[in-house]
Amino acid sequence: MNNIMIGRFIPGESFIHRLDPRTKMIATFVYIFVMLWADSWQTYLWAAIFIFASIKLTSQPLKLYWDGLKPIFCLILFTVVLQLLFTPGTPTLLKIGPLQITTTGVVNAVYVMIRFILIILMSTILTLTTPPTSIANAIESLLKPLKKIRVPVAELALMLSIALRFVPLLMDETQKIMNAQKSRGMSFSSGGPIKRAKAIIPLLIPLFIGALQRALDLANAMEVRGFKDAVQRTKYRVLKYNRVDYFAFGCLGVFTVIFIGIKLIS
Amino acid sequence: MTKAIKINNLNYNYNEDHTLFEDFNLSIEEGQWVALVGHNGSGKSTLAKLILGLMVANSGKICVFDEQLTTDTVYHVREQIGMVFQNPDNQFVGATVADDVAFGLENKQIPNKEMAKTIDEALAVVGMQDFKNREPHTLSGGQKQRVALASVLALKPKIIILDEATAMLDPDGRDTVMRTLKLLKAQFGSELTLITITHDMDEAALADRVVVINDGQLILDGEPEDVFKQTNLIHENGLELPFSAELVASLQHKPKHYLNERELIQWLSNLNK
Repeated sequence: MNNIMIGRFIPGESFIHRLDPRTKMIATFVYIFVMLWADSWQTYLWAAIFIFASIKLTSQPLKLYWDGLKPIFCLILFTVVLQLLFTPGTPTLLKIGPLQITTTGVVNAVYVMIRFILIILMSTILTLTTPPTSIANAIESLLKPLKKIRVPVAELALMLSIALRFVPLLMDETQKIMNAQKSRGMSFSSGGPIKRAKAIIPLLIPLFIGALQRALDLANAMEVRGFKDAVQRTKYRVLKYNRVDYFAFGCLGVFTVIFIGIKLIS
Repeated sequence: MTKAIKINNLNYNYNEDHTLFEDFNLSIEEGQWVALVGHNGSGKSTLAKLILGLMVANSGKICVFDEQLTTDTVYHVREQIGMVFQNPDNQFVGATVADDVAFGLENKQIPNKEMAKTIDEALAVVGMQDFKNREPHTLSGGQKQRVALASVLALKPKIIILDEATAMLDPDGRDTVMRTLKLLKAQFGSELTLITITHDMDEAALADRVVVINDGQLILDGEPEDVFKQTNLIHENGLELPFSAELVASLQHKPKHYLNERELIQWLSNLNK
């Protein structure tokens, strides 16, 4: 079950773990944005150095990052093949009907693959070192300006954190329902795609009903504990930038400046 | 003595065909431990929801510490009552134990600085202080229910209602929760009114007073010893006596009053002497 968990958090005390979740989110977004401008092997190399330095700082085994890459391998492969087959340019290495493989295509394919891998690695760093609630908190804090245009940020953040809290529970329940149905002869893995899709329906209905029941119970429990709305509340976990965060922002700044420098020179 | 809860002429029906409460009356003294028992569908959980304003009665008066429950007073009434529900998972709001206890405090707008201390204290009362940063799916059912109890205690209510809080637990979990309740009662004494809704008579036997309801009717009301003497009435209403009392009822020679399991073993072993 743990393999499908998107954003598996591993507790720790590393430099990256101690960063404010907002710092990590901002860094991730800045990094992804910067990567869009990468166009030469020097820039990719620099971006890769930054990522591997960050990975080192999380003190987590590399295998975890490999696990983070695996699920999207097909997607990477798909884009690489598309790049490879449909990039026009010269010189042409191979030509089969309308498809051609060009040197530009090969270079682009490699770049796209590296870009993908680096971006995934960056977001894996975020999710490995930050508990989901902290991410929800960070989102709430970063979206605060949207309150001015009446976006219900506090409500959305509370919804997000409750949703995250119920993910493992609903997964367990899914497994239980599947086992109950398997024990009565249901098969989820045989037959064609239509037959398999049909097998999902009797799984979804009890799951939905169960989820609704949980929602009603939870609403009662929340009301009894004095919940009126998400706005008139104080906060138990208050986010605060510390020295490590200023240091991290400094590093991010240096990375970006050098990146632009490399891009201008090459 | 002050009345913690006073219910007068309560009427409630689910729909036109099904009336549940008809001119129902009940009052509970401050500091009492009352067990509300009845089989499934007897209306005991509905009663708790009516007291908390989670459901609205058709007519009648519900007073909590002499304050009548209305749409204006409902939030103030809820501040004085804490409730632990049946399903341990469905009442766990926070992502960790500490966050869950904090949820009620956040709603009450307690300043951030005071929260940590209150959370630690509340968790210590139920013996869960070492689990502060654990996530709910790593806890057992009994542990989750103790966290739920801590979440309620942190808000310092005068009344705590447990709605079948041990029904989904294994025997060990049930024992720890019941032990925690006994500790609570010993610690807070007359300042805490405890209402346990249950169909487990062994649990009910711990209370000062047992109230049996069925189909919204008050069937029996009194001290556990007296209530458990009414064997027939209890069986007629779909309930069972505590194991020891059930055994006594089928004995030839009978002890004169209610004994719990340990006392009964003592009594039985004295029979042969």
